[in-house]
Formats: sequence, structure tokens, C-alpha cells
Amino acid sequence: MAYCVQCGVKLEEGSKRCPLCNTEVHLPDGVQEQPSEPLFAQPLPPAGMGGITKTRKGVIELILSLAVVSELTVALSMILSGNLAYSFIPLFSIAMATLSLILAFSNKPTFSRQASIQFLLVALYLLGIDAADLTLSWSLAASPGLALLWMYVIFPTPARMRKAPRRNASLMVGATLAYLALLNLVFSGSFTWFVPVALPSLLVLVLLCSLFLFWFSKRHNKTVPLADIVLGTLVVLFFSATAFDLFLSKYQRGLYILRWSDSLLLSGLIIFLFLVSVSVSRRVRRYFTSHNRHV
Amino acid sequence: MMRVQNTAPEGFIALDNSALIYPPTEAVFNANTFRISLDLVQTIRPEILEQAVHDLMTRCSYAKVSLHKGFFWYFLSPNTKEMVIHPEGSYPSGRFFFKENNSYLLRVVYSSHRIGVECFHALTDGSGALAYLKLLVQRYCHHAGIANFSFPGGLDFEQKPTKQEFSDPFQHLYDKTLPSFPKISKAYHRKGTGSFDDRVKVISATVKTAQIKERAKARGITIGEYLSSVFLNSLQQLQMQEVPKQKNRKPIRLSVPMNLRKIFGYDTMRNFTLFAVIGIEPALGSYTFDEVAKEVHLQMALSQDRKRLLSQIKRNVMGERTPLIRFAPNALKNPLFKLLSDFLGDDQYSGVISNIGQMALPPELADSVSRIDFHLSPGLLNKVAIAVIGYLDTLVINFTSFFNEDTELERLFCTFLVEDGIPVTLSTNRNTDR
Repeated sequence: MAYCVQCGVKLEEGSKRCPLCNTEVHLPDGVQEQPSEPLFAQPLPPAGMGGITKTRKGVIELILSLAVVSELTVALSMILSGNLAYSFIPLFSIAMATLSLILAFSNKPTFSRQASIQFLLVALYLLGIDAADLTLSWSLAASPGLALLWMYVIFPTPARMRKAPRRNASLMVGATLAYLALLNLVFSGSFTWFVPVALPSLLVLVLLCSLFLFWFSKRHNKTVPLADIVLGTLVVLFFSATAFDLFLSKYQRGLYILRWSDSLLLSGLIIFLFLVSVSVSRRVRRYFTSHNRHV
Repeated sequence: MMRVQNTAPEGFIALDNSALIYPPTEAVFNANTFRISLDLVQTIRPEILEQAVHDLMTRCSYAKVSLHKGFFWYFLSPNTKEMVIHPEGSYPSGRFFFKENNSYLLRVVYSSHRIGVECFHALTDGSGALAYLKLLVQRYCHHAGIANFSFPGGLDFEQKPTKQEFSDPFQHLYDKTLPSFPKISKAYHRKGTGSFDDRVKVISATVKTAQIKERAKARGITIGEYLSSVFLNSLQQLQMQEVPKQKNRKPIRLSVPMNLRKIFGYDTMRNFTLFAVIGIEPALGSYTFDEVAKEVHLQMALSQDRKRLLSQIKRNVMGERTPLIRFAPNALKNPLFKLLSDFLGDDQYSGVISNIGQMALPPELADSVSRIDFHLSPGLLNKVAIAVIGYLDTLVINFTSFFNEDTELERLFCTFLVEDGIPVTLSTNRNTDR
């Protein structure tokens, strides 16, 4: 009978690994152990069933049989009424609905997994019904739009954002840029407004966000008050809107002028000055406190 | 109980108070089952086991029932079908498929050397199932010509079932004038690592009772308290790894079933168990093992106080008797019970450890028994459960888990025992390239 060198527990005869720490069992040369009686009559069944239980399997079979009946009924009625040419959309819709239900029942019921699957299916469905006339038009904006929504709503789970915040934030910004570029390309055939308006506006937004995050991270007190976060966000949004107004007027009129964002710029400046003065007064106050003088 | 039965239609047996929660909350990852089994040296002959099961149909009529979903409540009714026996599968305490078992809530399983009883908790608790198993083994050994004996403290086969075996003592002990038991905050729940599925993986640790008793005695606590302390200590270490900031650490609590039969002097064969919720507060600082043991000892003593138990019973029975709940349709009550099960159950504790105690064997049988096991079904929130049973000079600690690879809790538990000077022997149904 072997002992685990890591855990110190005695293992049943014939064990190859410790069940606690997975350490391999090494027997002296020439020593062989007969496998002992298993704990239960049969070994564990393979994990091939995954999340599909007996009940779920039954429900999936029911969905499949209903789908087959629906497809046949619709197909027959379309043929008999002489509308076979229009049968693609109803048949495709039934097939996608069936796929959606089956995937919902056969996958683990976690929010992110289920939502991702359903987002993908809806995006594919939109592409499919748009392609019914063998051309793609509006779905080229709608389906990537769903992908972008997924990127902002489903992708940034708290765990994922905690793990790699910068990389994930960059991915989200990159996805937004890619979507805007695609929109411009699909509807105008070239980068007409993307390069002069969207790209610089978004870069200003990212730059301002980065500056504020840098400022907040360098503060003496690491816990940023909620008021500062709200005011900081307002400043970023107001300044970005101003930049957007500037780039848009340059694109449309050839001049850098403020058309509707001057009040936003003024409000942004006031809030920014307020934030700076609060921060400076905090530093001044801290300078004169005994706690900091002795540091 | 009488209150309900007096007006109940023929064949209607109301579920006991603690059983009410089990049928609506039953799910893939919340099977609410447990298994007690006994391994004999002799090979088990299924035809004789069937005969033994048949013998018990009259004597153990508390088990001769099936579960039904009524308009207002789930209820039991006498089952006229024959009880079937099942060859043992690959894992214990899984989800119960009543139809495959002729609608019985108790499932008799066997393998080459094992006789086991798997039970859905709505029928009875560990003591009720153990009484059934004892009688079953007694009848089997009688028919197989192994020995004639009766278990000390077990049911008498020759006697008729008494009224008390069917009683629901919770209803008798309910006192509406008592204050209700206070609510408890949420406890720490270990997330674990890697995947999990509904197959119950078992790691079985066997130790010598005398050795563990000696270590427990050295600290002035019982074996059950010692094992609870080891469990809490292991969870504490895991939380320290998971939550580095001390102030963010949640309380670690265990749910420890207490057999109320001895405390209140009832001999019912239905559920008569309450749960002691004992624990530590790691936000206050890390505990040494001796400190944990001290906390456990004190809290267990308080939990077994008659007055506190009565207050807990009042809280549980009061819910059942509230007119709004009583006359609400089952379809509305079920989601409520699911929520209650979380708030008053799983949310409050970080693990379950059930110690059924020492199973006394008659001398005629002692040489024929090679092993006794007790398994609990784990839950979705607390994916590892511990069940303990003793026989002869051996104590079997069974860890049942939904995790496929994660055995960290079991490792910390067992290595603590080893470091404390208690040799541990392990066996498992996990795939370890046997």
C-alpha cells in the first residue's frame, strides 16, 4: 500500500495517483500492486452528457420534432399556395428559432454563455433574412451592431475586467472604431467621415479618459469619491462632444468652429476647474496637518 | 400532524414540517438525497435481498409511500406497488428518479458485497433510513443463513409499527408564543476551480476511531466537533487564499444536522432533525485550530439548547401554518420555497457536515461487515458535502463533490488530520488512473 509523498495519506492498493493532489505514485522496482475493489460497482460514466440531463434531452427531442412538423407544414402550404419563392424567410426563421431553443437547453445556464449564443444567433438570423434576395444591405450594419453591443454588455464581466482591465478596454475601443469604419465603408463605399470625424473624436475621448484615470490613480487617497467620478465623467463627455463638434464642422464646412457645443465646453471647464481646486485645497489642507508634516 | 390528518382525505399523509422544503427545491444540483450502505464479506444474492425488502413492507410502512403533487401541498400516500431493488451505479446520492423506483422515496441498491439504502429527504432523515437499513440487513442475513440477530437500538421486526413512527413531532412542539429564531447573514461560499457536473464524485477517508477520539479529547471536544473544526479550518484557509483583504472576508459557517430524537424523546421514523449553524468570523482575524475548536464546542452546546431548538421549530412551523402560505396554490408556493431554501438554508452556511454517529453492530454480524458508508448529496452553492459514520473501530469520512478536478478542500482536510497524527486511508471513484 502506497503513501502520497505530498499529502501523507495512505492510498488504496493499485492507485496510480493521489486523488487529493494528483501526485504520481512511484512504487519500488519490482513491486506491483493489484488494483483493489473499486469504491462503487461501476466506474464514473464518461462526462459526455455535459449539461444535458435526461429531462433536457426529452425537451430537446420535443423541440426537434415540433420543428420538423412546423417546417414540413410551412413548406407544404407554401408549395400548395404557389408561394414557394417566398418560403425561405419562414423556413429559415423556424430553423433559427429551433436552434436557439436547442442551444439554450443544451448549454450551461450561465448568463454570459447563453447571452453570447443568442446574440450570435440573432446576428446570423439578421444576415440570413437580409440575404433572402441574395444581396446583403442593412444587415451589414445591424449584425456588427449586435456584435458591438455584445462587446459592451456581455463581454466585460466583472471577473474579466478585473483580470485585464487595460487590454479589455482597448478591445472595446478597437471594436467601436472597427464598427464605425465598417458603417462608413458599407454606406459610403470609402472612409468619408470616419477619418476626419469619428477617429479623432474617439481618440480625444480615449485620451481624456486616460488622463483622468492617470490623475485619479496618482492621488494620495486611492479611493476616489463617487462625486469625483461623476464630475470627471461629465468633463470627459463635454470635452469630447466639443471635439466632435469641431471635427464635424471642419468636415462639413471646412472650418474649426463651435456650433452647438460652446455651452458644453464652458460647463466642462467650470467643472474641471472645480475638480482641480478641490484637489489643490485637499493638498494644501493635508500639507498643514500634523499627520503629513511628520511623514 | 393530527390537525392536518383529521380533515385530510383518505390516503393523504401530510409531509412533516422539515420535509416540505425538499420536493419543490429538488433539482439536478440539489438532489436532497443521501445514501447509507453496509458491505458484507459474503456475496449479496439479489433474490434474497428482494425477499428481505418484501418482508419490510409491512413493518416499515413509513417507507411504503409515494410522493404526490397536490393543489396546495406535496403529500405522501400509501404505495401499493412492489419495491424494486437496483444494482449499484457509478456514484451515490444522485438525483432521484421516482418513476424508475415504482414511485418509492427509498431506493434499495446492491452490488457484489453491498446493501445500500438511498433516500429522498422528504421521506425521512438519516436515523429513519439507518433504522430501515438495519432491519433490511437483519432480514437479509436471516434469509441468507448468515446469522440471526437484531441490531441494538433498532426497530423490532416482530412488533407492529407504532403510531409514533408516523408522527411529526415538529407539530407537537410548535409553540406560537415563542419568539422566532433570528435570521443569519450570508456566509462564505467557495467558488472552487475548474468545471463541475452533476455526477457525485466521492473521496472516502478512513481513520481509526480511537486515534481521532484521542486527538479530540485532548482538546476537550467530541469527534463530531473535531471534524467540524477541521472543516471550518480548511474553509478558512481557502477563503484566505480567495479573499486577501481581511475585512472583506465573510463568515464561515457549517450546517450540522442534529438528531432531535434523544433531545425531545420521540421515536419517529420521519424527519426529526434541525441544523446547528456554527461558524467563525474571519473578518475579525485568522483563527488557530484550537480557537476554531473552542468556537465550535461552545456554539454546538448552545445550538443543542432545548429553548433555542423550540424557537427554531417555531420559525419553521409558523411558515407552514400562515394562512396565506397554507392556502396558496403549489405553483405559487414552489418558487417561494426555493427562495426560502436559499435564504434560510444554503446562503447561511459554507458547507454541510453530517455525522450519523457510531453504528453499533451485533456481535454475530461484526465479523461479516467489511465497510459502512454514508453519503450526502452536495448542492449547487456548497459543492462539497461531508458525511461521517462510524462502525467497529473505524470512522469513514466521505467527501461528495460536484467538482471534476478541484479537490483542494478535501486535501486540506485530510492533510490536517495527517499532520495532527491521524493516519488517513483514501479511496475514490474519481478517475485517478487506477
